[in-house]
Amino acid sequence: MSTFKSGFSLRKVTESRLFFPFVALALILLFDLIAVPGFFRISTRDGNLYGNLIDIVRNASTVSLLAIGMTLVIATGGVDLSVGAVMAIAASVAALLMNPYVLATELPPNIQEMMNDPYFTYQPLWVVILAALAVSIICGLWNGILVAYGRIQPMVATLILMTAGRGIAQLITNGVRIQIFYEPYAFIGQGWIILPFSLYLVAIVFAVAWLLTRKTAIGMFIESVGTNARSSFFSGIGEKKIKLLAYTFCGLTAGIAGLVASSNIKTSDAFNLGQTKELDAILAVVIGGTLMSGGRFSLLASIVGAWVIQAITTSMYAVGVPAFALQAIKAVVVIFVILLYSEQVKNFVQKVTAQKKEA
Amino acid sequence: MIGRIRTLISNSQRFIPVAATALLALSAYGLGAAFYPGMRDPQVFFNLFRNNAYLLISAIGMTLVILTGGIDLSVSGVMALTTVAAAALLREGWNGWLVILTMLVMGMILGAVMGSFIAYMKVQPFIATLAGMWFARGMCFFISDDAIAIKDSRVYTILGQTRILIPGLSDPVAQTGDYVTIPAVVGLLLLAVVMYIAHYTRFGRTIYAIGGNEGRNEVSAQLMGLPVQTTKVLVYTFNGFCSALAGIALSIFVLSGHGLYANGAELDVIAAVVMGGTMLTGGEGYVFGTLFGVMIFGITQTLIQFNGSLSSWWTRIVIGVLMLIFIGVQSALSARKGRRRRAKGAGGPIMGVQRRRILTFGGVGVIVVVILSVILFNVIQPPTGDASTDSTPTAGSASCEFQPYRRDEAAALAEEGAVIVYERNGGPNCIDELYAIYPDGRIVGDNGETTVEREVPPEEVDRLLANIAEYGWFTDEMYNTWHTPCKQCYGYYLTVVYDGQEKTVRGVDGGTDAPADYWQVISLVKGIVPELPSTQ
Repeated sequence: MSTFKSGFSLRKVTESRLFFPFVALALILLFDLIAVPGFFRISTRDGNLYGNLIDIVRNASTVSLLAIGMTLVIATGGVDLSVGAVMAIAASVAALLMNPYVLATELPPNIQEMMNDPYFTYQPLWVVILAALAVSIICGLWNGILVAYGRIQPMVATLILMTAGRGIAQLITNGVRIQIFYEPYAFIGQGWIILPFSLYLVAIVFAVAWLLTRKTAIGMFIESVGTNARSSFFSGIGEKKIKLLAYTFCGLTAGIAGLVASSNIKTSDAFNLGQTKELDAILAVVIGGTLMSGGRFSLLASIVGAWVIQAITTSMYAVGVPAFALQAIKAVVVIFVILLYSEQVKNFVQKVTAQKKEA
Repeated sequence: MIGRIRTLISNSQRFIPVAATALLALSAYGLGAAFYPGMRDPQVFFNLFRNNAYLLISAIGMTLVILTGGIDLSVSGVMALTTVAAAALLREGWNGWLVILTMLVMGMILGAVMGSFIAYMKVQPFIATLAGMWFARGMCFFISDDAIAIKDSRVYTILGQTRILIPGLSDPVAQTGDYVTIPAVVGLLLLAVVMYIAHYTRFGRTIYAIGGNEGRNEVSAQLMGLPVQTTKVLVYTFNGFCSALAGIALSIFVLSGHGLYANGAELDVIAAVVMGGTMLTGGEGYVFGTLFGVMIFGITQTLIQFNGSLSSWWTRIVIGVLMLIFIGVQSALSARKGRRRRAKGAGGPIMGVQRRRILTFGGVGVIVVVILSVILFNVIQPPTGDASTDSTPTAGSASCEFQPYRRDEAAALAEEGAVIVYERNGGPNCIDELYAIYPDGRIVGDNGETTVEREVPPEEVDRLLANIAEYGWFTDEMYNTWHTPCKQCYGYYLTVVYDGQEKTVRGVDGGTDAPADYWQVISLVKGIVPELPSTQ
């Protein structure tokens, strides 16, 4: 964080979008430095890196992926509640294509023996991945059409898919948790190439989103639509197409997150996979400083937001806080972080400091 | 004459969403009654209130919150916290009334805190109540990891078991006939009170004034001198009260408390409010409509249970589709209103908007209907033959009794070497079936009259057992839940012997209390057992 300061004035740094998320992250890590000896230890095994810090970024990869898509949607002034359900749908499609025994029709008779082979898959991996992503893109398109062309409020429009999506995912898998035996698929979430493979996925998706929004005019259009959709429309920005793009991209990232999550646990659990993940993703974006009302956004800050959430979880476990108590602590931290951003609190602090100066 | 009708229609246009919901609820019930004679039993209708009392209570509070343009995600968390805290206090020997009072105050405090954050700190309602939900759910597990049973509390027993008989449909002397329970009556009373508050008091008018128009109405209300922030805090406080009351209704219904109860209930509540015709932007809608929203929810569940061949997740899909339709209708109506307003003013150039919207919704609707009908056709196809022959005897057996659990027989079977003993009771046809699965792959089923047998490879039994164990059958995650099943619900008992461990877990479908994995296990077992002739 110290390199961050060099070359900038202090004021510029504190006004940066990345300042608060990084401060929050630094505070949590500082807490770990004091409270948990050896928290920062990183070991190597077979040339791969392991350690608490790696764990944080690895476990945060699902939420990071969701947060990238969610940032764009929130920047247009919307919100996508369906990402958790889309994760489940994508995972169900993938699992079904690799291990379709729940359908129990038209299967080769020796299916049982084939399934014991870790390299058996019913469809090749690329078909599996493409199909899952195609389905999640369709989900995103559906949301986008409802929001942009149906003019339904985003929260309601995506609530429909959030409610129905989990039912659809269970319908796809016939309500059964499908186990995934295919080893190459497990690499998506569990593989390591020096760093966890899922981290590279996050980096790729981030790079694509960054290029799309910062190297073309799309990013500016998104911010413009989020700030004032009506005046964007009047100044000739295809407001609907921008929204459609944001929701479709969000669906795609949700699909990728679904693949990562399901390969992590080697199961497609249509009921539990991605449950409440939409809330984590929204929270990550809010911690990243993007306003829920839309407008300016920062993709990197959202990813840092995802890390903050995961860092809280990991360090609480490291301190020995039982899993059940975690939610309550998370809630308190969230409120604290949100209050940091609150205009009211800023004004209050300013008032207090001003009074001190007068006195 | 025609002119008078036209004015009547245009005057009552604001009631169209509510009327549509009511019509849909009634026609859905009518259709159900036509197809499934069991649904003609009036008690099935009253069970809608009985089983969904907690949903109704919570949805009433949520309606007010949504009318102000906010949202409250914490309801399910507060409900769960109420069940756990009440169960824990009752176990400590507290008086039941005192517990209820404490819980209500607790709910109000939680609501007030969240409301203050929203009103004075300008935290987004979504975020503030999300934090509230996490906090409440976390607190549940501070109190207890496991489900706590509510035993020997006189107050809870009275509240849960008193039957309020319906005049005309019951015999007051013999205390038999159709009835509702106290929580259902409390829900309806609350509905009446809140309807009065919303439509006939200053507070209610302020609520309507705050919501809508993307937050601009709130500014106008503020400029008009209305107590906007105070009203907001009060509304969230009231919703906290409603959540606690709903939690009490739930704990009376299931007679236990656990931190995972009512998981995801906030979505059901919001869906019910939306289906009831309240706009999520706020400012428009009727508290009365929420009643029908909840009823549609209950009727969907009832229909799916009566059908018997549809799985529980169809509830979610149907609710999603219904929401789409309702939101489409609302959106089209508001577009029409906007056009009229524009036409009255400077004359509207954007006439194409509505047509395009109708085209979008029409297109989307057609796609959904086609997909659904294809899926439904495939799903319903096989059992149709059974269902038609099956529903005839049910007509006469409307008064069938819930069969007791054949505990001794099950224990004897497990002693004899059966590794899985599975019993399913009740349902619209009052079945009572008991299956034993042996390690050698033999499966024997018995419904008191007929016996069936099936042979599967022993490995399949092994795999099933391993799967069940993997679902955490022998851990604390799998706990007993029980309430008196509603007439169309099934009660399940499943005993599993594996690796020298034996455990029986029971549950009732149609409730919200049993762990999700329990149903996964039940569906696994259902997949392997042969069908008895009397069931669907």
